[in-house]
Amino acid sequence: MGGLKYAFRDSMRLVFRHWGLSMLTIFTAVAVFYLIGASILLVMNTRHVVNALEGELSIQAYLAEDTSPDAVAPAVTMLPNITKVSVITKDDALKSLQERMTGMSGILTLLGDNPLPASLEVWVDRAENVPEAAKRLSAIEGIVDVVYAGGLAEKLAKFSNFAGHFSIAFLLVAITASSVVLFNTIRIAVYSKEEEIGIMLMVGATPTFVALPFVIQGMLLGCAGSFGASVLLWFSYNSIIDRLRELLPFLPFLEKGALVMKLGVILVGAGATVSLIASFIAVEAYTRRAIKPL
Amino acid sequence: MDIRFSGVTKIFHPDITALEDIYLEIPKGEFVYLVGPTGSGKTTLLRCITREVSPTRGQITVGSFSLRKISRVDLSYFRRDIGIVFQDFCLLPHLTVFENVAFVLEVVGAPPREVKERTGEVLDQVGLWYRRAWYPPQLSGGEQQRVAVARAIVGTPAILIADEPTGNLDLHMAEEILNLLISINEFGTTVIMATHNQHLVDTYRQRVVAIHTGRVARDEKLGRYELDGRP
Repeated sequence: MGGLKYAFRDSMRLVFRHWGLSMLTIFTAVAVFYLIGASILLVMNTRHVVNALEGELSIQAYLAEDTSPDAVAPAVTMLPNITKVSVITKDDALKSLQERMTGMSGILTLLGDNPLPASLEVWVDRAENVPEAAKRLSAIEGIVDVVYAGGLAEKLAKFSNFAGHFSIAFLLVAITASSVVLFNTIRIAVYSKEEEIGIMLMVGATPTFVALPFVIQGMLLGCAGSFGASVLLWFSYNSIIDRLRELLPFLPFLEKGALVMKLGVILVGAGATVSLIASFIAVEAYTRRAIKPL
Repeated sequence: MDIRFSGVTKIFHPDITALEDIYLEIPKGEFVYLVGPTGSGKTTLLRCITREVSPTRGQITVGSFSLRKISRVDLSYFRRDIGIVFQDFCLLPHLTVFENVAFVLEVVGAPPREVKERTGEVLDQVGLWYRRAWYPPQLSGGEQQRVAVARAIVGTPAILIADEPTGNLDLHMAEEILNLLISINEFGTTVIMATHNQHLVDTYRQRVVAIHTGRVARDEKLGRYELDGRP
């Protein structure tokens, strides 16, 4: 118990004795863990949006200017896997746009004559049949464009995969960078106490006891950095998600709160683990050398 | 704890023979002066006992420990039985006298109450209780060496090793330190003291082991510093 008290007291001394280095280590850890947390949230949100969009069963088929929706609708109904077809005339489209842009009616007057195309909203029985149905719709004369959420989902899925792979590579580089900074901070702290460590080893302190204050010092710095990153992530995620919800209200983003809280706990845990390993390696290598007889 | 050297040779890289074929036995509770010219191998011999130096050949046993095979953890426990006093004191300047002595007990995980009581007792024994809140640079050389002795004995070691503990002190202070070491020896602690101080060796007669060019040149029960004009 006395030993643990000594180790904690000593680790606090070390943190404040090298306060400049301590701050540098904490700031590095904040930056690294913030970026890690942000990339995790980006990947999670993209995957969430992809999953939600993949479940969308409707296809929007836009018609040519001179094509009547009623002329095309029967042909569409005949296609396989189609469960429902709704007609959206040019007027319906304009009305819908006006409803969505209430308060900005001034802008709509700039449009002049209604430029919006008529379209068909086509419902498919299962999500995996959506791409095939879209392909068949594109082949029908009078249909000029086909838009379905699955298309966006495919693109987002590609981005999500890329972001996932990039995140893993980034995570490795970032963790390595943070570990190196922490390792060097601990090494400098160890060398600054070279004389003291020498005496400790000579009077019978075990290598573990010698290492303990440095490992605690490393963990304090690592935890402080990752905790700082979590707090920063909490505030920035909340404000970014609020802004995105205003801009893209149709996209389902992940709920803030519990998610960021859980991620914060994971980041602090990761910070503690990384700093534990880095500081242990730094001090262990030194004590091993110091205790080795000539 | 008996100390036994059996055919110990130490060759430092690339080819410097510091000790050569040393056979030496120091029974528990003995007081031994280690004498010899500078560079004769006294410090290497002492550092072999603390296992800062490992012999190239031969065996060293201290009590039940065979120092060639000792593990890292066992070495820590072994060193708790050895107190060391250095010529240049090796005190930590940012710690007070009390903290310098208490440090030894703290790093071996002694309970706080024991640390406080035992440190107080030892500082009393070396006559420095009144200086407990002072820092080493504020003390005289003799006082610093007494702190070093206090630090060496606070863990009640079985063996006390002193490497020229009076080297930086005047005669009066040197006698004071030696008397302290003798009184510690009277309580059963083995004391091995490397010294160049002829006056002390000849006045306070004890066993003398003389080392020359890495070999035991002389081993006398109640010896003198010099024999035939050389230490």
